Amino acid sequence: MTAPPTAAPPAADEAGATAQAKKQKGAAKRRPSLSRRGELLTGYTFMTPWIIGSLVFTVGPMLWSLYLSFTDYHLVLGGDFIGFENYRAMFEDPMFARAVKVTLLYVVLAVPLKLLASLAVAMLLTQKRRGIGFYRAAFYMPSLIAMSVGMALVWKALFAADGPQDQFMSLFGWEGGGFIGNPDVSILMLVLLSVWTFGAPMVIFMAGLLQVPGELYEAAEVDGAGKWHRFVHITIPMLSPVIFFNVLMETVHAFQMFGPAFIIGGTAGGPAWSTLFYTVRIYALAFVDLRMGYASAWAWMLVLAVGVVTLIMFRAAKNLVYYAGEDNR
Amino acid sequence: MIRHPHRLRRRSLLTGASAAAVLAAAAACGDDGPAGTADDPIEISFEWWGDETRADLTNQVIDLFQQKNEGIKVKANFADFPTYWEGMAGRMASRDLPDVFQMDYSRLRQFGGAGMLLPLEGVVKTDDFREGFLDTAKLDGQLIAVPAAGNTLGLIYRSDWFEQHGIATPAPGYTWEQYGADIAALTPALGEGKWGGGDWAGQYHFMELWLRQQGGSFYTEDGKALNFTKEQLAEWWATTADLYAAGNVPPVETTIEWTEDGLVQDALASEIGWDNFMPGFSPTVAENGGTLALAAPPSLDPGNLGLYLKPSMQLVISGTTEQPEAAAKFIDFFLGDPEAIAILGTNRGIPATNTGLENVELDEYAQAVLDYEASVSEYLTTPPPAPPAATGAIEVKFGEIYQQVQYAAMTTTEAADLFFTEAETLLASEQ
Repeated sequence: MTAPPTAAPPAADEAGATAQAKKQKGAAKRRPSLSRRGELLTGYTFMTPWIIGSLVFTVGPMLWSLYLSFTDYHLVLGGDFIGFENYRAMFEDPMFARAVKVTLLYVVLAVPLKLLASLAVAMLLTQKRRGIGFYRAAFYMPSLIAMSVGMALVWKALFAADGPQDQFMSLFGWEGGGFIGNPDVSILMLVLLSVWTFGAPMVIFMAGLLQVPGELYEAAEVDGAGKWHRFVHITIPMLSPVIFFNVLMETVHAFQMFGPAFIIGGTAGGPAWSTLFYTVRIYALAFVDLRMGYASAWAWMLVLAVGVVTLIMFRAAKNLVYYAGEDNR
Repeated sequence: MIRHPHRLRRRSLLTGASAAAVLAAAAACGDDGPAGTADDPIEISFEWWGDETRADLTNQVIDLFQQKNEGIKVKANFADFPTYWEGMAGRMASRDLPDVFQMDYSRLRQFGGAGMLLPLEGVVKTDDFREGFLDTAKLDGQLIAVPAAGNTLGLIYRSDWFEQHGIATPAPGYTWEQYGADIAALTPALGEGKWGGGDWAGQYHFMELWLRQQGGSFYTEDGKALNFTKEQLAEWWATTADLYAAGNVPPVETTIEWTEDGLVQDALASEIGWDNFMPGFSPTVAENGGTLALAAPPSLDPGNLGLYLKPSMQLVISGTTEQPEAAAKFIDFFLGDPEAIAILGTNRGIPATNTGLENVELDEYAQAVLDYEASVSEYLTTPPPAPPAATGAIEVKFGEIYQQVQYAAMTTTEAADLFFTEAETLLASEQ
């Protein structure tokens, strides 16, 4: 029998781990036997390099930056403890509002578009056709290179004045020039870059789609349901845990958008602060303005915001996500 | 979940791993001992900002230095200007600066004030510098940098286009109004995709020039505050408003994509800039069939051009270097060795040492810079004290906020307000 759609998506990620943990809650509570403890020891020993690495390079710096966020630490001159002053100052900082606006706009545009694109392509690629493997690889390709410096530079060239985008759109009466120099639309360039790299959610959607039991469709067809009805009443509900996972991951990623924005817009988020992403501003505060304390406070505000957004999503998911086989839902 | 872990070799694996760790730790403890021989050279690092041309020349000089000083190895690295300083800021915080690195006057206080630079009096040779060149190498009376070259502001212009379109040669005392009028006359005459001059209002250095022409300065003497009013800033930013609105200077949509200077791209007929940029631009302009010339920048007061001799690039030694002698030796070589100077030429500007000046081969363009500096020498006034540490950030902010004016997202008054808020926050952050 095909695995039920409750199985965690194949990508080894936090949400996947949570689902796994949930399933094993009962089992884990039992006291491990002696040989099991030996296994544990071996397991942890093999994990030591990773644990040390994450303590030194992730947890340590994070705690340090949490401390810094309560100081007026200047990258060169040092600083003193100032309590919540940084967090207060943020709300009077005109750049804070701008950075938040740009980032939210990006999240709102990029996440749904990217998910729609990846779902659409995933549905095409789960059909049984000859050579489908080639297409799957081909559509995944952009995701491998897109967040690279080279791709950002290519993107920059595509959207330059008189570049391909400008020339193409001019055919239809566009007079806004290249996206790069036009603050009204420059963010679309980054949205498109993100949409184009739909490979990761696409693969996850494909895995989800392949796990929807075929008999449901057959039964629906027998009852006379059309393509659209089958999609809305079978595919979407059965896929909802995977959709939820993808929405969550993509949203969290979108909030952290940095690389391409930094390469295309620079530390100033050019043109005219239209690509001044929250993370780009953090970078500029820390390494151009040298205000490490304040930059840390910004960073922790982002952690907080992403945390709250995630929490809201989990709450919303309770009613929206259907886990087959879990009747208490 | 792993159901069948391979347990057989667990013990031997662990033993092997710990043995390897011990070995690695032991190897790391090895000491270099007394260094500085050909077999066991000491290593110094040297970093600068610039492009590949400069890298080629610099690497040749480093090779030469290593040939002549067998016990010293120089590890070199470079980046473009903004990247360079972003990197240096982080490395300054982690006390990981290169032994020798290139310094800019705008960052001298940021690094020197934090005690990051080695005092150079008695460490490097100081007896051969041209007059006035060491004035801007001191911080609170202490020598912490030596200049590789000096420069001053000027008007770099296409003499062929000026002549062809009947624009009089700019001479000292040339007013801002006249310059604006000349640009307005040139742009339509030059045709599509070319402009008579660039928008000068977004450059902090040019506003400083304008303030100095009024007897003012950008920062107060103690470097803790801005020394002008919001109204003055709004007025400055409005100086190009008419030219901009009429399309007589290139629009920001165009310049934002420029990766090369407008003069080099055959798109600008003139631009205020550092005089030592002219020799760099000239060969390309000549290929385009043009000729560049230098003149005094426009002024408000024919008797006061606001100019001063600024070190275009300085060399400094990190305060935490373990090899101060080798570092000093390298600097002395870089600035004073005739062969090194012959290789470096005027890439970093006209050499700051007398030996340098005697040994450098001046092409016609470099000679033009030298002639220009001689022609305005009577106008050179006392340089401002080394600007506050936040200058680098303030300079960036100045351009960023002016861009808002160019995009018509803010009026000059709103932009000036915002600039003051931002600059004052930055200045306060270092006190």
